[in-house]
Amino acid sequence: MQAQETGYRRFKIESRPAPHVYPIPNRFDVRARKIRLAAMLVHEAFEYRFEKEVVLSRPCIYGVFSGHFGGFKPLKHKCVGCMRCVQEYPHIMTVKPSEAYKKLGDSFWTPEMVYTVWNEASTGKIPVKGMGYKGAFGGEGFDGIWTDMSEIVRPTRDGVYGREYISTSVDVGRKPTSIDLDNVIETPRTIEIPLPIIFDELPNGTDNDDVQTAVALAAGKVGTLDVARETRLGRPGPENLLPLIDEEGIEDYEEKQPSILEFDAEKPSVLRKLLTRFDRSIIIGRLPLREDSGQVASELARQGVHGLHLYADYHGRDYSRDPRHISTALRDVHQQLVRDGLRDQVTIIASGGITLAEHVPKAIICGADLVGIDTTILVALQAEFLGETRNRANCGLRPRRINPEWGAQRLVNLMGVWHDQLIEILGAMGMRDVRRLRGDIGRSMMDSELREQSFKGIAWAT
Amino acid sequence: MGNLELIVEKHTERIHRGLEVLPTLKHGLPEGLGNKRWTGDLILATYEQALTGDIPQNGLEYKTGNSGGGFDVLGWKTHDGVAKVDQDQIDLSIPLNKRGEGEKIEIPVPIYGGGMSFGSISLNFMIARARAARRLGTYTSTGEGGYPDQIVPYRNHVITQVATGMFGVREETIQYAPIVEFKYAQGAKPGLGGHLLADKVTSEVAKMRESSMFTSLYSPFPFHSVYSVEDHKKHVDWIKTVNPRALVSVKVSTPTDVDMVAIGSYYAGANVIHIDGGYGGTGAAPEIAKKNIAMPVEYAIPKVHDYLVSEGVRDEITLMASGGIRTADDVAKAIALGADGCVVATAEAVAVGCTHCGNCERGRGCQVGITTTDPELSQFIDPEWGEKRIVNLFNAWSKRLRIILASFGLESIRDLRGRKDLLVRFK
Ligand code: SF4
Ligand code: SF4
Repeated sequence: MQAQETGYRRFKIESRPAPHVYPIPNRFDVRARKIRLAAMLVHEAFEYRFEKEVVLSRPCIYGVFSGHFGGFKPLKHKCVGCMRCVQEYPHIMTVKPSEAYKKLGDSFWTPEMVYTVWNEASTGKIPVKGMGYKGAFGGEGFDGIWTDMSEIVRPTRDGVYGREYISTSVDVGRKPTSIDLDNVIETPRTIEIPLPIIFDELPNGTDNDDVQTAVALAAGKVGTLDVARETRLGRPGPENLLPLIDEEGIEDYEEKQPSILEFDAEKPSVLRKLLTRFDRSIIIGRLPLREDSGQVASELARQGVHGLHLYADYHGRDYSRDPRHISTALRDVHQQLVRDGLRDQVTIIASGGITLAEHVPKAIICGADLVGIDTTILVALQAEFLGETRNRANCGLRPRRINPEWGAQRLVNLMGVWHDQLIEILGAMGMRDVRRLRGDIGRSMMDSELREQSFKGIAWAT
Repeated sequence: MGNLELIVEKHTERIHRGLEVLPTLKHGLPEGLGNKRWTGDLILATYEQALTGDIPQNGLEYKTGNSGGGFDVLGWKTHDGVAKVDQDQIDLSIPLNKRGEGEKIEIPVPIYGGGMSFGSISLNFMIARARAARRLGTYTSTGEGGYPDQIVPYRNHVITQVATGMFGVREETIQYAPIVEFKYAQGAKPGLGGHLLADKVTSEVAKMRESSMFTSLYSPFPFHSVYSVEDHKKHVDWIKTVNPRALVSVKVSTPTDVDMVAIGSYYAGANVIHIDGGYGGTGAAPEIAKKNIAMPVEYAIPKVHDYLVSEGVRDEITLMASGGIRTADDVAKAIALGADGCVVATAEAVAVGCTHCGNCERGRGCQVGITTTDPELSQFIDPEWGEKRIVNLFNAWSKRLRIILASFGLESIRDLRGRKDLLVRFK
């Protein structure tokens, strides 16, 4: 972890290609009407006087028709949906999203999200496209938040292309609110991790040895933490482990005295014990987000907890009677802690529904210091979707057999590309430190608010 | 004719014919075509308008997309009993200089072409756009990639863009220009610099940009010489010194304080403030930037318009909007929200065959010759053919604009500005 190192080290995550090991569905289904195709070839043969090169020159620049049987057996995996074949031969060609692609994911994970994570994990490259945005306008939850940018008055960007450094490091733990130099009784309990993302506990039944090893290796390489309830013997990277300890487990860990640990804060009585038995550890309370989480968080902060891990379900809904998106629930807790003057005494880790790179800065804007990812880990490792992924207890993702080294590289790539995208967002805002973004709602724009301001005075259609 | 020429001719002919056949729906609406913003219908309706110069008559949806927000949830009030207006007499022109001094430039349609740079698009498409601008009496912008010799003949209709990379910005290219556009930021990648991938930097592009071949080019962000309105004023003064006749447009993105940026630009002497919303853009950009950074232009327009009104300067500056303007209805809605006119780029690409597939930066670039520097693919767009299609598209748009204005008894597009009361919202 960076905290143990001395001297300046410019943080960089080394990506390396880690191609899919399980076949992924073709994105597009390309079909030719065979009789018409044959007729067209005959027609063109005469038209171009059997000049083979011209007759067989195909409309696809991506090689979909470059197999032995040309358009009769298109190489569908190469199709990028450019539609030129349909433009040239509308009577012969059809291209549409494949059924297998459309079925990817569940009610929350759209096929596009799955594809994005797969590609990021396999290439470590930022998704780039031309010709503007292609999706829905704004929306709910994170989709309804835009981040700010700065036209002129800002530090020189750079990060990705290498000029001024943008820091993505965050501190986990409690910082003293003042310094009394004559009476230093304890060193601050914080550790610094180089990017505001940790690997959260995996859903029940999915943390087999290989997956757990891949996660632990990746955490070590990136320098982040991974939360695990049970840890197997011989697990790599114990220094990156964030153990989730229950009352019964206290004894097991007492000897090890981990630098950081999590506990189930729904059982607050454990906190007192932990504070006395682990007096040098950073103690994080794990708490489901509900309507009363703000008060509970304040109470725990007063009792001395060093951090809170606030979680929503895997679809980003909190556990209120009337479930809210994690972005709303987080803002409530953050603001309550600010009101109570306690915000800087605790670190907030947020998890649940953090599945795309853009969710990281948005969760931080809503008040988190850092985030945890969960189902995204399994998707990056090409786990199979078997059903809904909403709950930890019953998550429809089944991990496949993987080589842990490959898995680790996939996760390193994912973190690398999320780090690069975080820098894009921070750079656009003219921020050089992600810590400055925390709770800075002023540097965001909400769809719901802007709509009411800008469309004020426009009558509803009857 | 060699085989290569024959191959180009074969595919050119087939692509062009496809653009004519597809909108007839003889083969149905291609399922894989389009997305929420540019639906298959909108793309085909644009092909149709580019072919006929008229509003599509076969039921294709040509007014809105399916994005679930912004322009797509705005419609027009139905008005009974308005004064009858002769559509042919309706004035669609807007002024680009509302200040007391300087050249009085008006454009006959409330639209001009947005910056798409040499290198990111093919030279043929660039020439097609310039020719279309000349024919329509409006403008197109060079983008930041320099000023190829081949567009010099159209210079009276070409805006020279000065962007952070300063690629190809020379004394003569500023002197050519009736309008100089400072690109502070762009909607596709607000707060980020331009980025031309190595593959596209051919010898011609490298020469134009005074760089090395096949090396990725990044424009810095922001202008390192501008950190305040005063610095910006110095920029404007520099342009005015080199070319006293030029109008100045300031292209910015849409941050939270876009209204402040607009007023700052006004005080620095800009004639046009051009706001480019986050959802638009043509250049290669990180997906995260397009979707998440800066507000959509639909929200930015009223914010800027209202602020300029409250500051008492609204009638001294032209407000142009871009970033997701796909149809004539989008233009009219943008104006009703408070813009004077719109800047359009993607729609021009669609007019010449773009499918909005987003593959512009893959391999050889655009498969139909738009965003590519590949010598073979670029030939699919013949400048004259492209010119005709772009002109047709804007003629069709003009017809639709006249219909909208006539339905409210308005005789000039200028009277639509800020008339939010003529819009309705859908849930
Ligand atoms: S849609 Fe494009 S990539 Fe796919 S087969 Fe047709 S031409 Fe090739
Ligand atoms: S690759 Fe060509 S068709 Fe596809 S979006 Fe880019 S310009 Fe349009």
